[in-house]
Amino acid sequence: MHSVMMRLARVMAFLGGAVLTALILLTCLSILGRTLNSALHAIGTGWAQSLIELGVGPVNGDFELVEAGMAFAIFAFLPLCQITAGHAVVDIFTSQMPDRLRRVLASITEIVFALILVLIAVQLWSGMESKIRSGQTSFILAYPVWWGYAGAMVGAFFAALIAVYMAVMRTFEAATGRAILPEAEGAEH
Amino acid sequence: MSDILIGALSFPALLLLIFLRVPIGLAMFLAGLVGLVIVTGDTTIPFARLKSETYTTFSNYSLSIIPMFLLMGHFATLGGMSQALFKAAEGFLGHRKGGVAMAAVGACAGFGAICGSSLATAATMGRVALPELRQYGYAGGFSTATLAAGGTLGILIPPSVVLVIYAILTEQNIAKLFLAAFIPGIIAALGYVIAIRLYVAINPNEAGTRPRVPWGPRMQALFKVWPVLIVFALVVGGIYAGIFTPTEGAAVGAFGTGLIAWFAGGLTWASLGESFRVTAKATAMIFFIVLGAAFYNGFLALTQVPQELAAWISGQGFSPFLVLICILVFYLLLGCVMDSLSMILLTIPIFWPIVQELDFSFVSMVELQTAKLAELVASGKELPQAVLAEAQAMLAAGQELPREITRELGLRGVSNGVLNRVNTEMVAIWFGILVLIVVEVGLITPPVGMNLFVINAMSRDTPMTHTYKAVLYFVGSDLVRVALLLTFPVITLFLLPI
Repeated sequence: MHSVMMRLARVMAFLGGAVLTALILLTCLSILGRTLNSALHAIGTGWAQSLIELGVGPVNGDFELVEAGMAFAIFAFLPLCQITAGHAVVDIFTSQMPDRLRRVLASITEIVFALILVLIAVQLWSGMESKIRSGQTSFILAYPVWWGYAGAMVGAFFAALIAVYMAVMRTFEAATGRAILPEAEGAEH
Repeated sequence: MSDILIGALSFPALLLLIFLRVPIGLAMFLAGLVGLVIVTGDTTIPFARLKSETYTTFSNYSLSIIPMFLLMGHFATLGGMSQALFKAAEGFLGHRKGGVAMAAVGACAGFGAICGSSLATAATMGRVALPELRQYGYAGGFSTATLAAGGTLGILIPPSVVLVIYAILTEQNIAKLFLAAFIPGIIAALGYVIAIRLYVAINPNEAGTRPRVPWGPRMQALFKVWPVLIVFALVVGGIYAGIFTPTEGAAVGAFGTGLIAWFAGGLTWASLGESFRVTAKATAMIFFIVLGAAFYNGFLALTQVPQELAAWISGQGFSPFLVLICILVFYLLLGCVMDSLSMILLTIPIFWPIVQELDFSFVSMVELQTAKLAELVASGKELPQAVLAEAQAMLAAGQELPREITRELGLRGVSNGVLNRVNTEMVAIWFGILVLIVVEVGLITPPVGMNLFVINAMSRDTPMTHTYKAVLYFVGSDLVRVALLLTFPVITLFLLPI
C-alpha cells in the first residue's frame, strides 16, 4: 500500500517537475524572441516584421501559461510533501514527550491536515464549476480559466487522497503503538 | 468578544499549535480559517474564499520564481559548480592559517550567488568541503560550524528565496532588494573569514596546514568557475538592468545551470528525477506556508490588529531605533526554534505596518530635489539657465527649492508624498536586509539551527556540542554585522538610486 502511494506521489512530482521545466523553456524562448526582435528593430523594422511573420518573437501571453502551469505543478508537488512529511515543523518542544503522546498528537494533526486538504480540493472543484458557468477566459490567450483549475484539481485530488491515507496510517500507529511508516524526513528550503 | 481581541488571541493560539508540532503552514491556515469563521459568524465567507484563493496563490506569477530558483540550485550542484568554486577558493586561500575553512566560506558565497536557499548551499558545500577540511586536520566541530555558517550566505547573497517572499509581502521591488543585499552579503563573507582567523588564533591546534598551490593550477581552477560567473551575471544583471522580470531571470538561471549540468554529464534521468523530487518537496512546503499565511493574514487584517498595533506604537513616541531593535531581538529569539521562511511569513504582516510608521528620514527633500533636478538636466530638456543656476546653488547650500522655482523648471516628483514614498521604500529595503540576517542567524543558533543539523549529520564522528561551541564565533560575527548595518544604514542603501 505504502509503495503504491509513494509511487503515485513520485509520479505526480515528476509530472509537476516536467511542467515546471517546460515553463522554464517557454520563458527562455520568449525572452530570446523578444531580445532578437528588439535587436533587429534597432537595425530596421523590415527585418523584425518578416521575422515576426516567421514566428520569431516573444511568446504571446507567456505569463498566463506560466501561471496556469505553475498552479498545476505546485498542486502536483503537494502529495510527495504529504507522504514524506516534508512540511516545516517546530519539534523542539514535542521531542521530549513520551512516544505515545507524540503518536496521538501526530495522528490528530494528520487527521486535521487531511480534512483541510479535502476541503481545499472540494472548494477548488466548486471554484472550477463556477468558472465553467461564468465562461471567464484569460486576458490575452483567451483560454477558459477553468482549464487552469482543472489542471490544479489533479494534484489537489491526489494530495487529499494521500493525506487521508496518511491520517489512517498515523491513527493506526497511535492505536497500536507501533511505527509503520518511515520516520519523517525534513525538506530542504 | 471584539474582533481585535480575537485577533490578538489568535497569535498565542497559533504559536501553541506550532509548538505542538502542527506543520506551520497548517497551523496558520487553521488559525485563519477558525478566526474568519468566528469573526464573520459562519463558514460562508471563508469557504467562498477557498474556491479561488488556493488557485490564485499557487498560480501567482511572482511566486513562480521560487520553484525555478530551487531547481536552479539543484542543477548547479549537479553541474559540479560547488566543486569548482571550492577548488578555486582553496587554491588562493588554502595554505593560509585556517585557509581551507576560509575557502569553504568563499565557495559558499560563490554558490550563494547561484542558489537561493541556505540549506541547499550548506548541504552542497558540505559534501564538497567537509572531506577536505578533515583531511587537512581541521577539527570536526570547527569544520561543521564553518559550513553551517557559510550556508547562510546562500540566502543573503542574491538570488534569495526568502527575499522574494519578503518583497512580495511588503510590495517592494525584488531587483532593488537583491541589489541592496549584495554588499551586506560580501560583508558577511568577510566577517566569517575574520571569525575563522579568530578561532584559529585561539584554538591553534584545530586547523592543520595545507601546502601552497602553484600559480598554474590556481589559475586553472579559477578558470573553471566561469559558468558560475556567467549565470550570476546573466540572472542578477538581467533582472537589475530590467531586461527581464525576476521570474524570467529565474527561468534563465534554471535553464543555464541545467545546460551546464548537462554538459558536465551530471544531468541523467535519475538525477533529473531526484532534482524534481527535492524541488517538489521544498516547493510544496513553502507554498503551503504561503497559503496558510495568506489565510491567516487575511483574517488578521479583518480584525484590524496590525493597524491598531502600529497606531499604538507610533502614538507612544518610542525612538524608532528602539522599536526596530526590539523587533530584531524578537526575531533572534524566535529564530532559535523556527525556520526563517515561516518566521517571515508569520510576522512581516504584523511588523511591516509598525516599521512603516517609523520615521528614519533617510532621504531629505534637498536630496530628492537634487536627484530629480539632475535627472531633468540629463534628460536634455530646455531649461531657463538663470533659474537652473539659482536652483543648483540653493540645493548645494542645503536649501529646499520653493514651489515657484520647481514650477518654473517643470521639476516633477518632488512633493512630500513622493518623499514619503521614497523613504518608505528605503526603510523597507533596509529593514528587509536586517530581518534577513537575523532570521538567518536562527539557522545556526543552538538548539535547533537547521544548518547545524544538516551539516552535523554529514560528519558522524563530530559531537553536536563541538559544533555548538565553534558556531558561536560565527554567530558573534553575525551580531556584529547586524549592529554595523543598523548603525550605518548607508551600507545597505548606497547602491540604490533615489
